[in-house]
Amino acid sequence: MNMPTFKRLIPVLLVGLAMGSCTEEKYTYGVNDVIVQPTDLSGKKSKTPEQYLNILYANLNQRAMSANQLVKATDVITSIGDKQVAYETVISKFMNDPDIILPSEESMRNDPESFVKETYQRFFVRVPTEAEKTWMINFINSNPDVTPEHVYYAFAIANEYYFY
Amino acid sequence: MKRRDFIKKTALATGAITVPYILPTGRLFAQTGSQKAEHVVFVLFAGGVRHQESILQRYLAESQDLDIEGNIMYNMLTGDAPELKVVYGTTPAGQQPGIQPISRILQTPLDQQGTLFPEVRFSKAGTGHFVGLSTGVSGHYGVTQGLRQRPINPTIFEYLRRFGGAKATDVWFVGNGIGNSTPLLNHSEHPDFGYKYAANFFAPNITFGSKGVEFLKGFKVYHPDEELVPIREMQAFLNNSFNLAGKEIPHLYNTDEEKADIKDFIRATFERLENNQVSFPPVTDNGDLSTIGYTTEILRWFKPKLTVVNMSSVDSCHGSYTSYLKSLHRGDHAVGHLWNFIQTQVPEMKDNTIMIIMPEHGRNYEPNPITDENDWFAFDHDSDPNSRRIFTQMVGPNVPANLRVGSEANPVGDAADTVLTIADILGIKQDVLATGLVDFNAMSLFDRI
Repeated sequence: MNMPTFKRLIPVLLVGLAMGSCTEEKYTYGVNDVIVQPTDLSGKKSKTPEQYLNILYANLNQRAMSANQLVKATDVITSIGDKQVAYETVISKFMNDPDIILPSEESMRNDPESFVKETYQRFFVRVPTEAEKTWMINFINSNPDVTPEHVYYAFAIANEYYFY
Repeated sequence: MKRRDFIKKTALATGAITVPYILPTGRLFAQTGSQKAEHVVFVLFAGGVRHQESILQRYLAESQDLDIEGNIMYNMLTGDAPELKVVYGTTPAGQQPGIQPISRILQTPLDQQGTLFPEVRFSKAGTGHFVGLSTGVSGHYGVTQGLRQRPINPTIFEYLRRFGGAKATDVWFVGNGIGNSTPLLNHSEHPDFGYKYAANFFAPNITFGSKGVEFLKGFKVYHPDEELVPIREMQAFLNNSFNLAGKEIPHLYNTDEEKADIKDFIRATFERLENNQVSFPPVTDNGDLSTIGYTTEILRWFKPKLTVVNMSSVDSCHGSYTSYLKSLHRGDHAVGHLWNFIQTQVPEMKDNTIMIIMPEHGRNYEPNPITDENDWFAFDHDSDPNSRRIFTQMVGPNVPANLRVGSEANPVGDAADTVLTIADILGIKQDVLATGLVDFNAMSLFDRI
């Protein structure tokens, strides 16, 4: 090809390149099937009595239990065969402690959503699902006699609290 | 109406219209046809009891080279007490330690009221406490049984709940403490039995001792309708969200009513303690005696079909023979008090209870080098032939009175026999035998008479 012929083809080539660079690619997105469970708990381990009592005390009193108290409380749990009975009894004894720090009923009633979120975070170390949040808020709103103590007690004796 | 009365009356009312139910074995109703008694109390007279100071009544004669014999267990055995070197009693002010023997409780010793097997053998495995206790409650020598491990084969509690239809509060194991894996004896790790059929357990010296006072006494009681109903509703919702099989707080399949009853019992026992109403033995100066005192409270409240209570103070014999004698004497006092309590304070169990008493194992014939304040030698238990010599005593309805079965030349009975004996009394012997999980030489002691 001689030089004049090449020069004549240059505009044609430039137009072709310009048109090619404007071609728009189209993407299609899909969603994989996922089995939805309330919470992924498959790796959970049970707490030892020491862990359970230590965390419970910290959750309720917002300070650590002394080592001496922890040993004694653990012995008491060990001395009762049915651990559900043992834990429920010890927790209800804790609830009689004047040093326990509970949210006020007013704050729970004024902002149940925050209360529910904070309670899940405090006891289960996670955020509630929408369904859990809705159910708990409805329950609190429809049961005017329920107090923060009742809610805390229910969370403390729930199976999920026994696992981490 | 009190909550407990309400539960009782409700149970009576519903009992009238109850429908037949199928036990886990597939049987309709529990077997009840051949019961010898409706209640059994099994005293694990444990800690390692030397045959010479118990059955043989040799006191200091076959241990310390002193020619002084006598019976320091006169509630259980017939025989005169020692007259010299009395150290096993209480100590009146200003007098020699242990000089005052504890008064007898039973006018007729148990060996005259019932049957004594004076030469029973702990025939297999090492003579260790936990293996011995495990054998006593499971009828199986756990030769490989380790501490911190539940019995390998099912316990009598599990047999009774599974085959006899007993509910959880019908079966109790009362421990003298929480050491030596004692709390693990209320059920086995056998896959076909286990915690679903376990006995309820208390180590009452802790539950109701200073630790219990700090962490249990005065626990809050929620109103059963106004407070507990919404709490349980929230708990159920939270548990439903946490729906992984087997992921639950360990429990013994007490019903909600039984759990409430146990809590009521805990609260009532603290109140009775405060008012000095707990039926402790007349002399209560060691852990075994207070354990027996709390056991009487369990009998009074629950009237269990089966109660197993564990004692252990005689194990001080490792370091003090004098302390051992005191504990042996107090063990006898405890047993006398327990039997007297059943016959006089629990009408539902009077004349309807068979009590079985058996040490878990014996002690060595030769002493160790340790001497005590009286320069008397101490004794261990490390599987010598003497530490395999034990006894078993039975008393109650359908038990022949004033009968001795066996002798040193002709030993009769085995430590593994107790489970089948209890099963025989409560009408489930064939079911237990059919499992093939008790020692192959074990028999009901009634079949050995």
